[in-house]
Amino acid sequence: MRPKSTPAPVLEAWEVFRQEKDGDPMRHGGSVMAPDAELATHYAREMYGRRQESVRLWVVRRSDVHDLDDGDLLQPPLDRSFKKPGGYVMRDKLAAARAQSGQAKPKARSK
Amino acid sequence: MTATAAPPATALAELLRSMADDEFVIGFSDSEWTGIAPLLEEDVAMSSLAQDELGHAAALYGLLGELTGTDPDALAYDREPPEYRHCRLLDHGRGDWAMTIARRFLYDTADVIRLEALAEGSWAPLADLVGKLVREERYHRMHAGAWLDRLARSEGEPRDRLLAALIVLAPDAATVFTPIEGEAELVAAHVMDAPMTELEGRWRASIAPVFGDLDLPMPPPATDPERGRLNHGADFDWLWGEFTSIRRADPGATW
Repeated sequence: MRPKSTPAPVLEAWEVFRQEKDGDPMRHGGSVMAPDAELATHYAREMYGRRQESVRLWVVRRSDVHDLDDGDLLQPPLDRSFKKPGGYVMRDKLAAARAQSGQAKPKARSK
Repeated sequence: MTATAAPPATALAELLRSMADDEFVIGFSDSEWTGIAPLLEEDVAMSSLAQDELGHAAALYGLLGELTGTDPDALAYDREPPEYRHCRLLDHGRGDWAMTIARRFLYDTADVIRLEALAEGSWAPLADLVGKLVREERYHRMHAGAWLDRLARSEGEPRDRLLAALIVLAPDAATVFTPIEGEAELVAAHVMDAPMTELEGRWRASIAPVFGDLDLPMPPPATDPERGRLNHGADFDWLWGEFTSIRRADPGATW
């Protein structure tokens, strides 16, 4: 039986995020053009992984990304300084809390 | 895997040479798409894949060189065309995109079966290398399969061109499994787990579901199995001229 014919493919953009090593955050690497998710994944592997520079890739259809660049929502005009944490120093409060509970200061996370 | 008696060196060299030549020839032939593949991303993908095959060939020529005391570069570049032992499937030139995909799908699926038959083999240097090659070939098989699927399911020119390519390749499709001289000794020494004719059966069983789903004609048995790795023809003479041209331009030069 003849396989069902598929519609002519259309190229679209896919965004690629990559993780350089285990534990690292996923960072945007760039994009590829591909007709579908399977080939997009193959092309992402070639563009952002063929030199063993990634341990994980996320491939996202660009049109599936919710884009927010509304100035009223992101850059409102009034003074917002009261939303910022500047001036609120945590260090002394944390030291006091640690002294009270007897816990040592945690070491810096190893990379 | 256990080390048994030293494997039969002549037969082992024949096996390594056929595998190395296969990878070398398909790598060079597919690299002809660099710059002209159907889309930019595919250009990078096909070039990278071709480069992988040349890497595999280099590793296999390296083993063969150690076994026979020969310089791997000399093995790759200094033989005359009739001395190469790649399968006749790869004597079909790059052709159009459908031909390249058909050739690559037939070859990659066969190569995976051949590698699996060697992965647990008794000669550690080859078994170790094969363990690595199998992992890289997985992606090749995925990529060729993705394209075969797309061409087969796109009625009109894509499917027609794929069918035409499969018809041209049909008489030579199974030539990866051309018996190697001294093969029985390799099986007896557990270098490979079965003779080539049995591997061909495994290969047919592995691709039959794909060809069935896509309603593509299964490749027939090789038309001229005795010459499955001989008499390469004009397309290969041309490719040989290309890939040896730099080397021949200044013999003995260090590049």
